[in-house]
Amino acid sequence: MHQSTIQTTLVLPIVLFSAAAAAWGQSGGQPSTKNGEWPHYTADLKGTKYSPLDQINASNFNKLEVAWRFKTDSFGTHPEYKLEGTPLMVKGVIYTTAGTRRDVVALDAKTGEINWVYSLREGKRAAIAPRQLSGRGVSYWTDGRGDDRVVFVTTGYRLVELNAHNGQPIGGFGKDGIVDLKAGMVTGTGQQIDLEIGEAGLHSTPLVVKDVVIVGSSFKEGMTVVTHNNTKGLVRAYDVHTGKLLWTFNTIPRPGEFGNDTWENNSWASNGNTGVWTQMTVDEDLGLVYLPVETPTSDYYGGERPGNNLFAESLVCVDLKTGKRKWHYQIVHHPIWDYDLSSAPILADVNVDGKAIKAVALPSKEAFLYVFDRVTGQPVWPIEERPVPQSDVPGEKTSPTQPFPTKPPAYARNFMKVPDDLIDFTPEMRAQARDNISRYKTGPMFLPPIVGDPKGLLAAINLGNASGGTNWPGAGYDPETHIVYAQANQSAVTPISMRIPPAGFSDIRYVMGRNDTDFVVAEGPGFGTAADAPQRPARPARPAPARPAAPQVGGLTVDGLSIIKPPYAVISAINLDRGDIQWQVPYGETPDAIRNHHILKDMNIPNTGQPGSVGLVVTKTLVILGDSQVTSVTHPRGAMLRAYDKATGKEVGAVYMPAPQSGSPMTYMVDAKQYIVVAVSGGAYSGEYIAYSLPSE
Amino acid sequence: MGLLVLIARAEPSRSVWDGVYTPEQASRGQAAYAEDCASCHGLALNGGESAPPLMGGEFLSNWNGLTVGDLFDRIRTSMPADSPGRLKRERVADILAQILAVNQFPAGSIELAHQSEVLKEIRFEAARPERK
Repeated sequence: MHQSTIQTTLVLPIVLFSAAAAAWGQSGGQPSTKNGEWPHYTADLKGTKYSPLDQINASNFNKLEVAWRFKTDSFGTHPEYKLEGTPLMVKGVIYTTAGTRRDVVALDAKTGEINWVYSLREGKRAAIAPRQLSGRGVSYWTDGRGDDRVVFVTTGYRLVELNAHNGQPIGGFGKDGIVDLKAGMVTGTGQQIDLEIGEAGLHSTPLVVKDVVIVGSSFKEGMTVVTHNNTKGLVRAYDVHTGKLLWTFNTIPRPGEFGNDTWENNSWASNGNTGVWTQMTVDEDLGLVYLPVETPTSDYYGGERPGNNLFAESLVCVDLKTGKRKWHYQIVHHPIWDYDLSSAPILADVNVDGKAIKAVALPSKEAFLYVFDRVTGQPVWPIEERPVPQSDVPGEKTSPTQPFPTKPPAYARNFMKVPDDLIDFTPEMRAQARDNISRYKTGPMFLPPIVGDPKGLLAAINLGNASGGTNWPGAGYDPETHIVYAQANQSAVTPISMRIPPAGFSDIRYVMGRNDTDFVVAEGPGFGTAADAPQRPARPARPAPARPAAPQVGGLTVDGLSIIKPPYAVISAINLDRGDIQWQVPYGETPDAIRNHHILKDMNIPNTGQPGSVGLVVTKTLVILGDSQVTSVTHPRGAMLRAYDKATGKEVGAVYMPAPQSGSPMTYMVDAKQYIVVAVSGGAYSGEYIAYSLPSE
Repeated sequence: MGLLVLIARAEPSRSVWDGVYTPEQASRGQAAYAEDCASCHGLALNGGESAPPLMGGEFLSNWNGLTVGDLFDRIRTSMPADSPGRLKRERVADILAQILAVNQFPAGSIELAHQSEVLKEIRFEAARPERK
């Protein structure tokens, strides 16, 4: 085992505090959206993304101006083009992560001026990390009496606590402010992973509640894995004062633990992943934590792990004090669709048929909102086990049934209905689409992957999967009206074909790809992009392509447009008292590729919306979220941050952003002025946090 | 003279529809792309789990209104993601030629240059301009 070395720790403290910060300092207590703060990634511990602020509203949204902007290019060796953070705002100070180094910055919330920067140089450990770039941000802890701390996970999977006032590591926490999260991560039956090159990392922010820090785990993307015996996922809780490990929840249960028998043939011992890579939520009063668990190894092939594979793709409720399981619900049995559980569970106190229910609602890539009694785990509305198509990939044994919620209805398209869902701008386009799609296997939801055949069916078509429905930014919730607001991508057409990996590449029998084409390792977003990434990580050499990429036979585009018809993504308001969809509108505006298309130019096409999964903010009256694409027909080349009326879904305002929204937005108030901050990046535009506010009178 | 240069910069005279790369260059670019780009962006440029597609409507919209030089510099300074700056300028130009080819911009008789300044004279236009 290598001992990892922290090469340098840089902290640049500039201990200057604004009058605003001083005023908050006297008020004490816990930070809250009620004070105009945004103290958690999801605004609060309940996952709502709700702020009661209303200074920015339908009457003035169009007047918003850039209050300050913060470019992140210099926080790492090269710029980042995928900035995904959501800043926190506590006591007049912004805290967030930035750049390819994942530095932590503290900024004056009124001006964006830097208070301090914390930078940990992790060398190779970060360079080969499975989850790179700046991540989703930081967490905050306070004793309410001036001991204020920022908590975050580094690219190299270390848990760090900093003094919120000056960015200095907290000496009493772990070793010099750091807990090594790789310690205790294992493969197989319990083999500790290498602390330097062992595979584990995390983008999401820790869940900080009372005096406990709860941290998930994640790994490389699982489409073309080199082994099914990957690092095992887990969730751990640490003492916020000392960094001492309080409890561990094994998302792959060990012998003697509940659910171990759902890994048939002892396959628990030789499979990994099954981490928790998105945000968790907690009911402080009940002392219950809600864990949204991801897919096991590998994303699209489960032949090495027969059985239902608990707690993969399950919502698990554990005791805050002990980590012991209270209840669980498996959303997908024997997962092979990469559905993961992508979003923070939302805690909602609702009234169904006159009965008050403490509920938890789970947005998903499948565009179902799964709603449970959060005390008992019972579905609020029946969830039915229905028969689903079965796999014919050798070695694969799919579950005969899968759970389907009866209410609320799916809030976006979650399978491709042929021909109804095919592009139909013109009859010729529809005909071409039908012709193209005939080369693929299509069917209902949970259509299993196939072994693609160049002379027969090329792949099985799914929607959702990696990038459909609601993804890592999650959804939002208004605790007063009991309505969930969710953006969902419904155009992520995913052709899944499996192939036998090249000799020596993997111990798994099937990986994503086609036997007749050159094998390509599928890397996840941002892999190898950390600041110090010096070279390609060691992995089996990929054979040089012997022939050019196979021409697209029966491709999934028609005249350059997606084979699936619009709207490409939607925003929905889902009433949790009634279990129905109150309104649904296309997300964003029609892409230039449609507006300027040579065949469609003279046609009057209603708003198609844009593909993509983005996060949102819910305020007193608005739902606020930005475009995922650059457009230039109705405004200068750029993307728009839009406000929708919460009651109707009508767009009531839009403000210009120079690049698409790439992180989930947040809002706060300082000195009687409300701000909205959003991370933008993409294309030629490197990462930037932009703060908007109303012009001074 | 200075004024003329300014005008030329403000409105590049050529676009991607004017045959700005050669088939041979795209062919070299195809091999280079498979080596350096395909593992994230897909062999058919159709994107990976989250690495964006380098073909089709969304990609074209994203670069519409900018210049080939902007795209060249983006690739040159940030790609391949695991070692930005590793690729020689000529290789980046070859890969760019392949991207243009896959997106069905016409080939011509002159190769894409490998100087950002020169490439900034070529407009990236998603839609084919109307013929007069």
